[in-house]
Amino acid sequence: MTSSLPGAVEPVGGADGHPPDDLLASYAAGTAGTVLAWSVEAHLTECERCRSTLSAHVDAERLARNRSVLMVRAAIGEGGRARRVLCRCGLPDHVLRLLAATPSLRRSWLLSVVGVLAVVAGEAAAVRYGRIPAGGAGRIAGYRDPEVLAPFLLVAPLLVLAGVASAFLPMFDPSWPLAVAAPFSGFTLLLVRAVSALTAALVPVAATAFIMPGPGWLPVALLLPSLALSAFALAAATILDPRAAAVMAGIVWAVPVLLLAAARVPLLIVQPNAQFTCAAVLCACAVVLLARHDRFELGWMR
Amino acid sequence: MDEMTLSVSTAAVRADGLSRRYGATRALEEVDLTLERGITGLLGPNGAGKTTLLSILATVNEPDAGRVSVFGLDPRDAAERVEIRRRLGYLPQELGYHRHFTVAGFLDYVAILKEITSRRRRAEEVARVLAAIGLERRARTRVRALSGGMRQRLGIAQALLGQPELLILDEPTAGLDPEQRLRFRELLSDLPGDPVIVLSTHQADDIAAICPHVVVLLQGQVHFAGTPAELAASAAGRVWAAGERDARAHLSWRGGDNRWRHIGDHPPAGAELVTPTVEDGYLLLSHAAGVQ
Repeated sequence: MTSSLPGAVEPVGGADGHPPDDLLASYAAGTAGTVLAWSVEAHLTECERCRSTLSAHVDAERLARNRSVLMVRAAIGEGGRARRVLCRCGLPDHVLRLLAATPSLRRSWLLSVVGVLAVVAGEAAAVRYGRIPAGGAGRIAGYRDPEVLAPFLLVAPLLVLAGVASAFLPMFDPSWPLAVAAPFSGFTLLLVRAVSALTAALVPVAATAFIMPGPGWLPVALLLPSLALSAFALAAATILDPRAAAVMAGIVWAVPVLLLAAARVPLLIVQPNAQFTCAAVLCACAVVLLARHDRFELGWMR
Repeated sequence: MDEMTLSVSTAAVRADGLSRRYGATRALEEVDLTLERGITGLLGPNGAGKTTLLSILATVNEPDAGRVSVFGLDPRDAAERVEIRRRLGYLPQELGYHRHFTVAGFLDYVAILKEITSRRRRAEEVARVLAAIGLERRARTRVRALSGGMRQRLGIAQALLGQPELLILDEPTAGLDPEQRLRFRELLSDLPGDPVIVLSTHQADDIAAICPHVVVLLQGQVHFAGTPAELAASAAGRVWAAGERDARAHLSWRGGDNRWRHIGDHPPAGAELVTPTVEDGYLLLSHAAGVQ
C-alpha cells in the first residue's frame, strides 16, 4: 500500500476535510495512483476516524496473502555478504541462489580443502627445512626433490576436480530429479555450478602454491592442469557414468604425477610440454561438451 | 472424424509401446496408456514399474522403445522437452533434500529451476503453495528439522509451484497421517485449471476416494485401465464373507467384524456374497497375474 515518493502531495480532503469514501476504497485496493495514495497516507497518519473507515475497505484475504509473501521473503533472506557483493557486480540474484545447492561451495567443504592443503604444505615445509629427512641423511632437500612438491602437485588439481565433480555428481545433489525435470537448462546449471566450484577451489590452491617452497611460476602453472582435468571429467560424464568419469579423470592425473615423482622429476608435470598437453585436452573436452551438452538435459538414468 | 481419431486428439498424455529394462530386469513391457484431464491413479505392487513409468512421463528417464506424447509434444525433441517441463510438476518417489535449506529456501530454489526468476513472483508462489499444504508456519524451519510427513508435504508443495498442467506424483501419500491424507485429497480435488494428475499409490482407498480413472500396472504391464467402479466390479461375484477360513480362496483375511473375507471362485460353506471394493478388484487382478 505504500507508494514511491511523489513529486508533490495534493490535499485529499472533501468538504469535511476527510478523504471521500470512494477514495479510501480505491486506496485500499491499491488503485488510487501514486500522488493520491501518498496524500491519503499523509492524512491517515493524523486521522483515527479515516483509519477506522479504511479498515472496512481492506480485503482481509489480500492482506493475509501479502503477509505470507512478506514472511516468505524474510525466511528466504537476502543471502550472505558474498552474495550481495556478487549481486552488486551484476550477477543475477536467481543464479546465485542456485549455487546454494552446490556442496563444494559450502563452508565445510572449503574448510576441508584448506585443511588438506595445510597438511600438504606443512609436509613440504618440514621436508624442505630438514624436519623430515629426505634423500641422504643430513641432507637439506631442494624444492626439486619429489618429497617436497610431489604431494602438492598430486593433491592440488585433484582437490579442484573433487570440487567440480561434487557440483555435477547426482550423489551430491539429493534433489537432482527436480533439477532434471525442471525447464531450467541442465547444462547451464552444470556450468554455473562447475565454474563457481572451480573458482572456489582454485583460490586456496593458488594461495598455497604461493607459500610452497618451489618456483615462482607454480601458482600459474597449476591453472591449466586443473582446468583440463575438470573439463575432462565433465566431457567424460557425457559418455560414461558420471562417477566413473570423475574417477577416471583423477587416475589420468595421479598416474603420471606418481611416475614422474618416482623418476625424481615431479615438476615435469607442470612444465611446458605438459602445459601444451593440458591445453589440447582442454580444447578437445570443450568441443565434446558443446557437442554432447544435451546429455546433461536428460538426467543420469541411462 | 471417427472415434479413434477423436481419442488421439483429446488425450493429454499418451504412451505407446513403452519398454524399459535395467540390465536383465524388465521394468516396463509394451505399455500403452492415455491420460485425460483429471486424476488418474496408478496402482501396483512394489517393482511393478510405476516409478519407471512416471519418471518417463516426467522426462527424467527415457524408454528403450516406444514413444510418449505430452500435450502433443515429443520429449525426444530438446525444445519440446523443455516446453513439457514448463508445464510439469513432479514429485519423485524418494525425493532427497538439501538439509541445510529452510522450507522457504528450498521452494525458492525449485521455483528458480522452474524459471520463475522474479523475486516477487517467487515469494508469491512459495507463499501460495505453503498455504496450500499447511506449512506456512514452517517457512523458516530447516528441512533437517522436519518430520517425515512434513517433508512429504514439502515435496508435494514443490510439485505445485508454477501451477503445472501435468502433475506427476509418485507415492505422494507415503508417510502422511490419515488427516494429512484427507487434506491432500482435498487439495488435489480443488486444484484450479483442471490439470492432468497422475499419482501412484499402494493405497486402494486413495484411488477409490479421488481418482475418476485408475490404471493397474503389474510386472511392467498395464492389466487394467478404467474407472474405480469398473475395477471393483471386476471382482463381482467372487468376494465372500464367512465365519470360517476357506483354504480354496485365492486370498482371505479376517476383517474388523471378525468375519473372514474371501476372494476366490468358490463360495465357502455358509458364505454370503458381498459387494466388492476397489481393493478386491486389484487383489484379484494381482492374483490372476501371478503377483505374490
